[in-house]
Amino acid sequence: MTDFIKDPVVSLPDRMPEPVIPGDELFFTDEEKKQIETWVSRYPTADGAVMRVLWLAQEKFSFLPAEVVQLVANALDMPYAKVYGVATFYTQYFKEKKGKYVFDVCTCFSCQWCGGYDMLHYLEEKLRVHAGETTGDGLFTIQEAECLGACGSAPMLQITNGPYVHNLTREKIDALIDALREGNMPAFESVTLPQDEDELSGNRRTDVDKTTSSVTPPVSETVK
Amino acid sequence: MPKITIDNRIVEVEDGDTLLQSCLDEDLEIPHFCYHPAMSAPANCRQCLVEVGMPRVDRETRERVLDEDGNPVIDFMPKLQTSCSMKVADGMVVRSHRTSELVKRAQKDNLEFLLINHPLDCPICDQAGHCPLQNQTYKYGPEGSRFEFRKVMKPKNIELGPRVVLDGERCINCTRCTRFTQEISGSHQLTIIERGVRNYPMTPPGVVFDEPYSMNVIDICPVGALTSKDHRFKARIWEMSQTPSISTTNAKGSNCVYHVKDNLVMNVTARTNMDVNEFWLADEDRLDYRKFNENRPEGPAIGGQAADWDAAYAEAARLLQSTSGQRVFFLGSALSTTEDNYLLARLAEHLGADAPAYIPHIEAGHGDNWLRTDDRAPNTQGCERLGFSALDAEVLKSRLAGGDIDVLYVMEDDPVGEGLCELADLEGVKVIVHHHHTTNETLPAAAVAIPAAMAVETVGTFVNCDGHAQRLRPAKAIKGVNRTLAMEVGKSRADLHGTPFDRWYTESNMVDCEPGWVSIPAIAERVGLSLSYKGPRAIMAELSEDNPAFTGATYDAMGESGVRLDVTHQPDTHTQTA
Amino acid sequence: MASKAGDWRNYKRVLLPPVKDLHRLDVYEDHGGYDALRQALTTDKWDPASVTDEVKKSGLRGRGGAGFPTGLKWTFMPPVNPDVPRFICCNADESEPGTFKDRQVMEYNPHLVFEGMVLAGYAMTIKTAYLYVRGEYADWITHMERELEKAYAKGYVGENIMGSDFSMDIVIHKGAGAYICGEESSLMNSLEGRRAYPRIKPPFPAQKGIWNYPTTINNVETFAHVPLILSKGADWFSSIGAPSSPGPVLYGISGHVNRPGVYEYPSGMLISDLIDEVAGGMRGGKKLKAVVPGGSSVPVLRADMIDGVTMDPEGLRDAGSMLGTAGMLILDQDTDMVSFLRRITHFYHHESCGQCTPCREGTGWLENIVTRIDEGEGNVKDLDLLIDLCSQMEGRTVCALADAAAWPVRHTITRFREEFEAKCRPSLVATHVESAAV
Repeated sequence: MTDFIKDPVVSLPDRMPEPVIPGDELFFTDEEKKQIETWVSRYPTADGAVMRVLWLAQEKFSFLPAEVVQLVANALDMPYAKVYGVATFYTQYFKEKKGKYVFDVCTCFSCQWCGGYDMLHYLEEKLRVHAGETTGDGLFTIQEAECLGACGSAPMLQITNGPYVHNLTREKIDALIDALREGNMPAFESVTLPQDEDELSGNRRTDVDKTTSSVTPPVSETVK
Repeated sequence: MPKITIDNRIVEVEDGDTLLQSCLDEDLEIPHFCYHPAMSAPANCRQCLVEVGMPRVDRETRERVLDEDGNPVIDFMPKLQTSCSMKVADGMVVRSHRTSELVKRAQKDNLEFLLINHPLDCPICDQAGHCPLQNQTYKYGPEGSRFEFRKVMKPKNIELGPRVVLDGERCINCTRCTRFTQEISGSHQLTIIERGVRNYPMTPPGVVFDEPYSMNVIDICPVGALTSKDHRFKARIWEMSQTPSISTTNAKGSNCVYHVKDNLVMNVTARTNMDVNEFWLADEDRLDYRKFNENRPEGPAIGGQAADWDAAYAEAARLLQSTSGQRVFFLGSALSTTEDNYLLARLAEHLGADAPAYIPHIEAGHGDNWLRTDDRAPNTQGCERLGFSALDAEVLKSRLAGGDIDVLYVMEDDPVGEGLCELADLEGVKVIVHHHHTTNETLPAAAVAIPAAMAVETVGTFVNCDGHAQRLRPAKAIKGVNRTLAMEVGKSRADLHGTPFDRWYTESNMVDCEPGWVSIPAIAERVGLSLSYKGPRAIMAELSEDNPAFTGATYDAMGESGVRLDVTHQPDTHTQTA
Repeated sequence: MASKAGDWRNYKRVLLPPVKDLHRLDVYEDHGGYDALRQALTTDKWDPASVTDEVKKSGLRGRGGAGFPTGLKWTFMPPVNPDVPRFICCNADESEPGTFKDRQVMEYNPHLVFEGMVLAGYAMTIKTAYLYVRGEYADWITHMERELEKAYAKGYVGENIMGSDFSMDIVIHKGAGAYICGEESSLMNSLEGRRAYPRIKPPFPAQKGIWNYPTTINNVETFAHVPLILSKGADWFSSIGAPSSPGPVLYGISGHVNRPGVYEYPSGMLISDLIDEVAGGMRGGKKLKAVVPGGSSVPVLRADMIDGVTMDPEGLRDAGSMLGTAGMLILDQDTDMVSFLRRITHFYHHESCGQCTPCREGTGWLENIVTRIDEGEGNVKDLDLLIDLCSQMEGRTVCALADAAAWPVRHTITRFREEFEAKCRPSLVATHVESAAV
């Protein structure tokens, strides 16, 4: 696990950062503004929409440098400091540039005991970076994640706040990385309910291509 | 009003108050950090836990259930409650650390937690000696710590803005500072960032914490996380004496405390006065103290040559009598006390001169409808209430040019420096100046220069822009021997630091000056007017009797929080009468 | 003690019935979907108060972890005042480690959740409902949004639902990664666009909830039960499973079993049945060592403590644990309970919001000590210190995260003490005797 315990140092964010998003790109399009308006209309005050707008901004600019947080604050007429406080509170908002693909490898609770750390270490060795770091080519970031709510299909990981990859094995990771290098994000993977396997002989959804059936979790080699 | 029982003591409390505030009002200390009466109560420090019980009520009859002895049966809540977030209710029974071992233990436990990641660098911390964390740890904390790991290391010595420095490690996340910028000043320049044990207050990137009230967070910070860049490492709290007095940078008259060491003002902090500035003080009020220490005159002068006090008084008297009263022009001062201005008016009257005028110190656009005003002088309203009129530069210049003035008497102001006239305009005019600073630009024209005590060295009354009359108390000693002043110095320092009987007493940095209520009577006496009062207290007693604009403004009535004067007796703004 | 789940082997699923593509609106409709809502809105059968009464009568208890009676919670809402907005909120932040059932409900039966929310809105006269989904569930949010749009198009949500004068909007709110948002008051702060710090209670959400307006918050599975209760009746519901906490339960089983996953069965199932018969037994024929029956914060049970223990609040209370979310982690004989606890303490340390003192400071201290023990540098005295720290945290904070962090520490140490002692530095084990004597 990322060892804050061993090295409990909280760093100071760059207080006067140089903007990284060029000024002429730092705006919301009319379409985005319309979307923001829709979100705002769903809450008693505009502040309620801040998480959505931060998401929109992160998807657009790939992370949330200061000027983007400011842009979000302006879009919602919220105090910049408040938005910055929100952005730093939640772990899924990236305050610094990450790899194109961020692997959030769950190692928490069930995943710990079903090979989550094996998968994390395998990824670390394979990509030659530690958890928390990004590969030199800027493609991959590995992070250790807290429970992602897929304990029945442990071990698992999430790619860049998007698709879940369930029932990880080394082979599955190899294939995943090959696919991502080709630019192919894995499709949504539906997890079969064991009872459906018995009663519906498989997954109940006919509209998804990828399903993962219930498997016996692997024996963990490492648990930390 | 609801009655509650605190530690077996029955007290009447204000409906709607929090339990913590009720206890504090009763002088019952409950340790706390995050609670501040002016702000929302997040109950995040968890230090003010108490046991709370309510009388059992019969569901049917809605009557209180009584025990065998006829006392109400009290049901205590299963968990300890934060008294800061608990509203009082009639019949409530409270056990604090005074009567509950459980509460005592909880307070001790909480302090142990608060200290595990606190650097305990009290020996080099400016807050040490007046630190709620330090004090409450001594009173309620554990004797040692069982924490044997590396403390969390956070950014230190960070200038949040030009005036406030952050030590993230000392922060206990009470959020008083961020709540101040959100709820009180509205600047929204601070937020807590990060999460969990990593969090601390910070400005968002690119923002400087430079609001004009930024330094209030230093006062309200219950630890040494936020310190004054100006005052950092200059003096320990116990090396300074603390005098409750009034700020002089604007017409609001915000209440403050002057911190003095070796007769130098070292720091200025807020003093609570719910009628004036509540808990707050503008940064300008805090930082404008060097004027009390620097460029101060050393004794009187005649024609630019050092003279002794007697000679200076005699020469001033001689000049005043050298012409007719109508040709003497008196300038009072919005920087001086009401008492001194009143004495000056008496002197002018005696000589047959017009009532004094005063120089307005207006800086348009400076005010903010809060604690900063366009008026940069502390006692304009005192002058107005004495019937003084604001001096118009054109009028002064034309009278000087027309040769109508033989003697110009300037009390504690600087007509040249303020641009009302130039030195050349004063050629041929005998100028008498009571001055605070050697940098006074009228001084080169002064026939007699009389060093004047400043607001931190004298006793007197300022009337603020809202008509609130408040007392000045002497925070530092001057060279002149004056029994009234010496006694006031002693009385106004709660700790008695700085009196001749105290071991902190020092003769260094005393300015050779006199308050107006000493120097004006001395001159008056030499022109045949007796202004013998038993100090400014007696002057104010007379004013409050004789002048309806000052009704009620006796020293006893003003006390430490002042008296709101009758607005109807506030004279209209005078046009220049001369 | 015996199973309270009756003839569970022949139990017919209702939350996740075996219907292909039930998540599609047309399929859902074909299987009686939105019938309960239609009955409520277009017939005289249900007025708002009787909906609440029926839910109350059913004995439904919240499935989010605390197990509070749902109908009773609804009655806490103040009388309707047309000038004061009021809200319901569906808590889909599902982030308690070991819990993954709500995600399956959202994927496989989203309209049941919507229907339950609209019915609850009708019962409490509410115009706006928020569905707070954790940000990690991005794919499921997209999925739900797509289905919600269809429900809007068909007039099941929105203005004048099914031609009645009842209107209600459902807004899906996307979180961004914070366990604490599962706590209802921080969820409300998060929804309002603040840092997700929990609020002091009282006031409770029914008094001052979202934007300080009256609010009722329930879990996804809880809302999903509501249409079933109305269409099949409170008596049907209360006859299922354990009488004190009746109804179907989604058991999320993970860990060292052959068939992990979400299972729907009556409440009050024997833990042993769930492991051995439902989840296919222990992986590799290993022996059971421990069960965490309801998410990471509930006390762990040793294998010898689960005999006859049923999965309902009373059964688990008597066994020394809690039902929580019914997210069960099954651990086999090879599990190192010290490492297990270490990872849990790391989780709570990472997820403490940092607002209040005992949790912000205590969670880190716990992790520090357990890490030291796990690395063989511990001292037996540390175990007593850990228990002491738990006492210093429990019940002293704004929300229950400190309790949730302390319970696993307290109970894992108490129930596996030998294992912890065995990991402490050998030379120091003897001091335990001295410290005990003192």
